[in-house]
Amino acid sequence: MTSFMPQKRYYRQRAHSNPMAHHEFNYPVCPEEMDWSELYPDFFTGSSSKNGTSQVEFADIGCGYGGLLVELSTLFPDKLILGMEIRVKVSDYVQDRIKSLRESEPGSYQNIACIRSNAMKYLPNFFSKGQVCMLLVACLMMIMMMMVVVFLFLTPDLKEQHKWRIISPTLLAEYAYTLRVGYVHTFICTTEIHSSWWNGAKYFYLNTHWYFLYMHLYRLCFLPTLVSMFPGRVGTRRRI
Amino acid sequence: MSASVGFCSRWFISTCDRWLVAVDSKQDREPFVFDCSTAEKKPKNPSTDGDEGGAEETRSDRILAFAVSPCGNLVALTDDSKRLILFRCEASSWRCISVRFVVRRCTSLAFSQAEDQLLAADKSGDVYSFSVLNPDQDGELKMGHLSMVLAVTLSLDDRFIITSDRDEKIRVSCLRSPYNIQSFCLGHKQFISALLVPPGHSQRLVSGSGDGTLRLWEFESGRHLQSVDLRDLMDPEKTDNDNEKEKRCGVRGHRCGVRGHCVDHLYSVFTGVLSVLRVSLVQFFSLDQDQLSPHSRLTPPHQPLDVTFDPEGRLWVLMDSDHSPLQIYTHRCGSWQCDTDSPDLTRVSAAFRIHWDKLDASVRTASRFDHLYVVNYDNVSEYMKKKQQRLDQQSQKRNLDQKRRPDAKKMKTPTANS
Repeated sequence: MTSFMPQKRYYRQRAHSNPMAHHEFNYPVCPEEMDWSELYPDFFTGSSSKNGTSQVEFADIGCGYGGLLVELSTLFPDKLILGMEIRVKVSDYVQDRIKSLRESEPGSYQNIACIRSNAMKYLPNFFSKGQVCMLLVACLMMIMMMMVVVFLFLTPDLKEQHKWRIISPTLLAEYAYTLRVGYVHTFICTTEIHSSWWNGAKYFYLNTHWYFLYMHLYRLCFLPTLVSMFPGRVGTRRRI
Repeated sequence: MSASVGFCSRWFISTCDRWLVAVDSKQDREPFVFDCSTAEKKPKNPSTDGDEGGAEETRSDRILAFAVSPCGNLVALTDDSKRLILFRCEASSWRCISVRFVVRRCTSLAFSQAEDQLLAADKSGDVYSFSVLNPDQDGELKMGHLSMVLAVTLSLDDRFIITSDRDEKIRVSCLRSPYNIQSFCLGHKQFISALLVPPGHSQRLVSGSGDGTLRLWEFESGRHLQSVDLRDLMDPEKTDNDNEKEKRCGVRGHRCGVRGHCVDHLYSVFTGVLSVLRVSLVQFFSLDQDQLSPHSRLTPPHQPLDVTFDPEGRLWVLMDSDHSPLQIYTHRCGSWQCDTDSPDLTRVSAAFRIHWDKLDASVRTASRFDHLYVVNYDNVSEYMKKKQQRLDQQSQKRNLDQKRRPDAKKMKTPTANS
């Protein structure tokens, strides 16, 4: 029997989860021990030509209900894309959604998967150094840029900044570790941040070092590399 | 840990509770004693006074960690009142250079080889760098982990900071650009409490963890070379009448700490010492290129609390005992032998005992590792159960609907296909 498209009303959950809590997670001890074939059966065990050699190159951290994940899947059918979501219900929704998408359209959506994990803690357990060429952190809107630009799309809260926010100055080092060298890493921010924390962060990692480029959304519009802008489909517009 | 020992050239240093005691092991001299409760208090900030009032009460002056610089003329300590105190030890005198304040309580301290900076890792996972040359300068945030950093050390050439945290990770970052992570050493399954870059093996790292293993790494690439399970070393010692409970207790006791080091010139191998807390055993390992092998072991009469090597390569063991807390072991004719009548020992013990006796027995053995074991809680299985129930209900309902109105199925199928 074909599984039905999951209904979102059963998977609603408040938008916060404590990243410091010791939830039960399944994670590999090191990236070499990760079994990707369960997540991407077609790429690793199926008849695909790139059998077993492909690796995850796009990561969407805090993928939410997976709107961007699904969108990216058709845009980059030969790239493996991994969504990470910490909330139990939401990650389960994305998993069910991908499952039903794969069943309804056999052969497509084989390159996306979602796991429930705490990226702040376990990112290096999944990805080796320089493995990821596009890392999307807490994406709200969907913006696509040309492939030469690898970007972090950030939405730092205007609330008080704590260490346990997904974007903190010290955590950027871990994101940089997983990102591939040789690309321009852009650091984009949707909202004007006035807090002293943010200025501190900028000076800590952005202005003084060359890993990330600070870029404001409005300025981004003038960039020639901007290819297209997608309308947010799943729960993204509402929040803005 | 409320008591630990170390050596600063020929000065024997120990911390117990709020006292730092430094005794010259070679000459009869007045020992240097520093009482943290007499140190400068943090200037009160009127704006935060109100909400910190409660926390102020519970704060003790217990020393949490101390570090000795590689040349042996600087000592730094940090206490429960979030102070970071730096001392300079000149030929015969000690001087307190500065008292600085840290943001959170520190867990570990390390001097760089060049002795120009002091790294302090704290409970919230941040590592701050404090200047030694400008002793009044505030700390600068270097890097940060998400969870508590338990140990910090530097590579022998000062190129890398190596930090380990409660979340099973060892991170190797460049010292000059700490946002640049060189590698992660992943493999432990519990918190990592001890790190050591063995002298003479500049590319190797030995780590000790709460999972009862000791691992050897090539830290620059993060390559795992070897793992030694301490439980395997212990169990043959146990006789059959030690029942299951005893055995479990032994396993719980493997909170290992790699502490101190010594280059054994005779064999030109590194001799690391591992003190297994709660078990009356000190295990030696020798490191030969890529192989960490159990060497010999000591069974002190009491539970060892901390161990250290002095410049002559003798091992000093601090034990949980009222009468003879200190003992020296010397390496003679291929084995470690207890040296009871050394004049150094009597000299040090006399000064040390004064402060040791003030300590409560329960305070001495209080382990700092107990609370570090991570207890996961399951927040998935209940949800999955509920979901299954919901799915069952839905399919039941669907079946009922289909039975009741057989034409409904016909209505539904074409829409599902389209």
